[in-house]
Amino acid sequence: MLRLDARQGVSFCDGLTRRDFLHVGALTTFGLTLPRWESLAAQGAAKSKDINCILLFLVGGPSHIDTWDPKPNAPAEIRGPFKPIATNVPGIQIAEIFPKMARHADKYSLVRSVYHTATAVHDTGHQLMQTGRLFSGGIEHPHMGCVLGYLKGQRGEMPAHVLMPRPIGRTGGNMPHGQNAGYLGKAYDPLVLNADPNHPQFQVPDLLPPDYVGVVRTERRQKLRQAVESTIAAFEKSPQVRQMEESFERAYRLMTSPKAREAFDLNQEPGPLRDRYGRTRFGQCCLLARRLVERGVRFVTINMFETVFDEVTWDIHGSRPFTDIEEMAKLVAPDFDQAFSTLLEDLHQRGLLSTTIVVAMGEFGRTPKINPAGGRDHHPGVWTIILGGGPIRGGRIVGESDELGYVPKTRPVTPMEVTATIYHALGLDIHHELPGPQNRPIPLVDYTVEPIRELF
Amino acid sequence: MRKLLFGRLYTAVILVLVVEQAISAEYHALPEKIELFGPHDRQRVIVVSVENGQVTADKTSVARFAVVPPAIAQVDEGGLVWPKQNGQAILHISMSNGPTLQVPIQVRGMDTPAPSFRNDVLPMLTRAGCNSGACHGALAGKGGLKLSLRGYDPEADYFVLTRQALGRRVDLAQPHRSLLLLKPTMTVNHGGGLRIDLDSPEYLLLADWLISGAPGPQPNDASVVQIEVLPKQVILRPGEKFQLLVRARYSDGRVRDVTHWAKFSTTEESVAVVNEEGVVEIRGHGESAIAVWFSNLVAVGEVLVPFPHQVAEEVFARAQRNNFIDDLVLKKLKTLRIPPSPICSDAEFLRRVYLDTIGLLPTPEETQQFLADRSPDKRAKLIDRLLERPEFVDYWAYKWSDLLLISSRKLSQPAVWAFYQYVRQSVADNKPWDLFAREILTARGSNLSNGAANYFVMHRDIAELTEKTTVIFLGLSLTCARCHNHPIEKWTQDQYWAVANLFSRVAQKNGDRSGEVIVYDQASGDVPHMRRGIPMPPAPPDGVPLALDDPRNRREYFVNWLTASDNPYFARALVNRVWRHFLGRGLVEPEDDLRLTNPPTNAELFDALTREFIAHRFDVKHLIRTILNSATYQRSSQTVPENEADDRFYSHYLVRRLPAEVAIDVYSQVTEVPTPFTQIKVGTTGGVAETTQFPLGTRALQLPDSLVVSGFLDGFGRPDRSQPCSCERMSDVSMSQALHLNNGQTLNDKLRAKTGRIEKWFQEKITLDEAIRRLYLLALCREPTVQEREKIFTALGTSGQSIPSREVLEDLFWAVLTSPEFLFNH
Repeated sequence: MLRLDARQGVSFCDGLTRRDFLHVGALTTFGLTLPRWESLAAQGAAKSKDINCILLFLVGGPSHIDTWDPKPNAPAEIRGPFKPIATNVPGIQIAEIFPKMARHADKYSLVRSVYHTATAVHDTGHQLMQTGRLFSGGIEHPHMGCVLGYLKGQRGEMPAHVLMPRPIGRTGGNMPHGQNAGYLGKAYDPLVLNADPNHPQFQVPDLLPPDYVGVVRTERRQKLRQAVESTIAAFEKSPQVRQMEESFERAYRLMTSPKAREAFDLNQEPGPLRDRYGRTRFGQCCLLARRLVERGVRFVTINMFETVFDEVTWDIHGSRPFTDIEEMAKLVAPDFDQAFSTLLEDLHQRGLLSTTIVVAMGEFGRTPKINPAGGRDHHPGVWTIILGGGPIRGGRIVGESDELGYVPKTRPVTPMEVTATIYHALGLDIHHELPGPQNRPIPLVDYTVEPIRELF
Repeated sequence: MRKLLFGRLYTAVILVLVVEQAISAEYHALPEKIELFGPHDRQRVIVVSVENGQVTADKTSVARFAVVPPAIAQVDEGGLVWPKQNGQAILHISMSNGPTLQVPIQVRGMDTPAPSFRNDVLPMLTRAGCNSGACHGALAGKGGLKLSLRGYDPEADYFVLTRQALGRRVDLAQPHRSLLLLKPTMTVNHGGGLRIDLDSPEYLLLADWLISGAPGPQPNDASVVQIEVLPKQVILRPGEKFQLLVRARYSDGRVRDVTHWAKFSTTEESVAVVNEEGVVEIRGHGESAIAVWFSNLVAVGEVLVPFPHQVAEEVFARAQRNNFIDDLVLKKLKTLRIPPSPICSDAEFLRRVYLDTIGLLPTPEETQQFLADRSPDKRAKLIDRLLERPEFVDYWAYKWSDLLLISSRKLSQPAVWAFYQYVRQSVADNKPWDLFAREILTARGSNLSNGAANYFVMHRDIAELTEKTTVIFLGLSLTCARCHNHPIEKWTQDQYWAVANLFSRVAQKNGDRSGEVIVYDQASGDVPHMRRGIPMPPAPPDGVPLALDDPRNRREYFVNWLTASDNPYFARALVNRVWRHFLGRGLVEPEDDLRLTNPPTNAELFDALTREFIAHRFDVKHLIRTILNSATYQRSSQTVPENEADDRFYSHYLVRRLPAEVAIDVYSQVTEVPTPFTQIKVGTTGGVAETTQFPLGTRALQLPDSLVVSGFLDGFGRPDRSQPCSCERMSDVSMSQALHLNNGQTLNDKLRAKTGRIEKWFQEKITLDEAIRRLYLLALCREPTVQEREKIFTALGTSGQSIPSREVLEDLFWAVLTSPEFLFNH
């Protein structure tokens, strides 16, 4: 994926290009103003069978015991400082640090028995949860969102898969795999935001022409480029050249599209709604994700954090440079609680929840026993993930961990079963074979793996 | 009871012999003789027509068959021959308008005891798909039954089938209640569906084996030593069908038809598809191999489908030939009736050969000089000059650093530089490839003094070392065989661990300096086979094993085998990599997948290039020079209508996007604004650190380490150098790349820079017309045409004599530098 440094304060100075004007103008002649057209499009999206996905990746690995799998009857060194509270679904309890989520438990289900057996480092979990597989044997497995884009293509000028705010970077292991299209090729990589939507001058780098280029020069460059290449017809026969021309065409359509520009423009959202999502990087990413899905993006991946070092995250080892349990409860949990609940509510009110899966998951759980530093360490033995929306039923609990939260007690679920569940919910054939390296066919998930049927 | 079972099958069909008048040599029967052994044996016979020594059609469907005497064997209408009793007979084949062919039949072994588990039951179950990766061959098995993948472990499979599940799978007291019969026939519910019909020969075989007491695999069972496809090559037309035969030769001398048990696949689905029975159906023009697997052996049959074009003989006769490469390319093109494109212009050649060989554009002065040169051998002389340029060393040191995975991911900074300098010096010295491989694979001592020793420092895990070494130096992937026999190749798990054991005595210890590691050989030590738990005698792939107690140095033994002139892979692997670099497509593709089942598109050419490379003592520069001087390399990238569809027989130069490093370097070259490389990813923790190792002006192709930070290089597909796979380098084009060229900093910063070429031209106040001329010569190595200039004037709404503003100059550069003509080599 193309990773470039964020550049602030760039804007597309004076409005629409001629092409954009024609685009909007044509719609207007049919009596549709832009917002109206959008709301129609949104309704269209809601009606279509195409399912979208918003993946909230809880980088760092939330403690299952302190969050969605409380153990009130466990000894103090295990149950931790938080009490369980009731939710709006009888029988489902979560930790008290998520009061808002508790009012929406009918919109999501909890899988409390996810586990993996790979090394207990962040990177393995990132790979497993986003691709279903571990990076090994040199095979770069594609992220689920890239697979969706590969199989279904993009809608209009909107990219199929957007990743925000940035790819997961430094988490201690050697290599962050599983965040791009891997062996499917760069054409299916996600569009990476590389910017903070909560920044007052938020702009997506590379998305819009820099201010020193602007609209006049963009158009001039385009005309000059056409003039330069128009005499080289011979090249057009090469599939690679055609791919390049198509990429430039897609890029031009995206960067000059009022729809795309508008989609990424959070200032269009009313202030109170922005507040409800939370004026945080994560909150505004969630809001942006909703805007993008509404406008045709199929899959949005939000990494709640880029690193686990020197930042308050879910990675509650208790000592520096990591986070402790109280910091997590004070800063991380409320941020998630607010954004996640608002996202579900907002999608629901707009009729988008029935066509949009919302998944929130980390890369592992945390050791049940609190460590001497007052934190919890990595524990892939069992943890809880959250799924809702689209065809996935809310208000359910699948699987359970044992009394002390060490291992799955019933219905153990592997990362690949989670992947299978998401693919299945997206309407894909989970055993469809992708062309792997050296044309080795690689099924979306292994043939022996099935979706979590209890969720449908 | 056995007799009863077979009675159903032995309803004799006797055909009337038709006497034919005409005798012609154009029909052949395959195989030439039939040997049948035991009641379950069978032999399919095909009748083919032959023209000029080439098999051109399957005529079996119009042939009529009869066995004389009929008591010995029977034959059905399709040519399938079954034994009836021991003895000899003749198969008579009559054609409606041809001769009667005769094939001798020998039937033996009708009185042999039970079918063999290893040689009858397992191959049959394999063919039925029971032990495939999707079913019981999966690592976790399926439905409680786990078999070895495609039957690589007969002993374990026998145990699982006869001893597990409370003996319900094989019930010797009541054979008909064995799950082995009930499940695949769907007599009871079976998750895998119907695999074996109740009235099939497969069912009879299984039943016969069960009734005979289900004997297990024996140590003295015959093993398959070779399989062959009949015919080896066939020339067909779209729409035609052809039945292939597969025969296996066993260690006891038997030859058997295993067509019904073999697995088939095609390498080129657009040309030919093949079904489970081995029937090929032609879909399009070109060439395809049909790969056949049986009992862990592989063979290939070749299907040629010439294009329907009428191409005059003299097109090939008159096509330019500079060396043997051209003879062999044209020979192939002629067979397939694909005409070659003409030789490219001098300007095209100049730009192409610069970019491919040294990763830079010629300067306008070099371009003008070359175009003005009238000497007939100016292309050859230019090639010689480029091969001596320092930038050639940059490019090829970079290329081999890609191959050897040099990066600070697993090496300290001083170690990276030591390894890189070693590679760089080797390229500068034009070190023969065999010596290069030998020095690396037998490297000893300090990794800082002997940079090559870092090869072992990077690959401390023996499995990783084994797999990377075979890919890098042999173009072979053994990875699958680590855990089980390779499912699509002949490599066994035993062979894998025999290769691994060659490296078991390489040891390392820390040196005195920071980042220093000492590589040395231990006198003893073995690596155990993953499944057997015992070490295998160390042996190169298909090579002679060393005894476990042989005192010879195992690495040296391996390298002697590796670099021997008769090594079947070593030279080919390098030849294919170099060929692919210049021609855009490997003779074998992917370039590092030299499987037998992945044959080259031009085998004769591959052989000849390999011979040439070995004869010239593994001289890489000589190989490059030979390729660059060929007319094949110098053909135009413009197609003619009849060779448009060709992307693998080298009828024209294949256009391709510039590699990431070359693209950014030529951007610097054209704009005269160098790229700053000031940050490096920190290998062990994943952070980014400032670095001053690369002074401004360092080109991307001069970077020793793939962890130098560059969004542009990553975005345009620089290899990560974590796996020795040609797939690491991405050469495709994405929207992110287009967005970056439009709106990103890399190119825009070069265009806006306060110094550099654009600023100079702006200060000179040159006219638009002059700017266009200069830019075309600089970036595209040619003069713009009148129409091109006019189009640009029109686009800008101005005349050629106008003095462009700085911004117009920038935009003009942008348009040329993002055009396919610039970003592609052609």
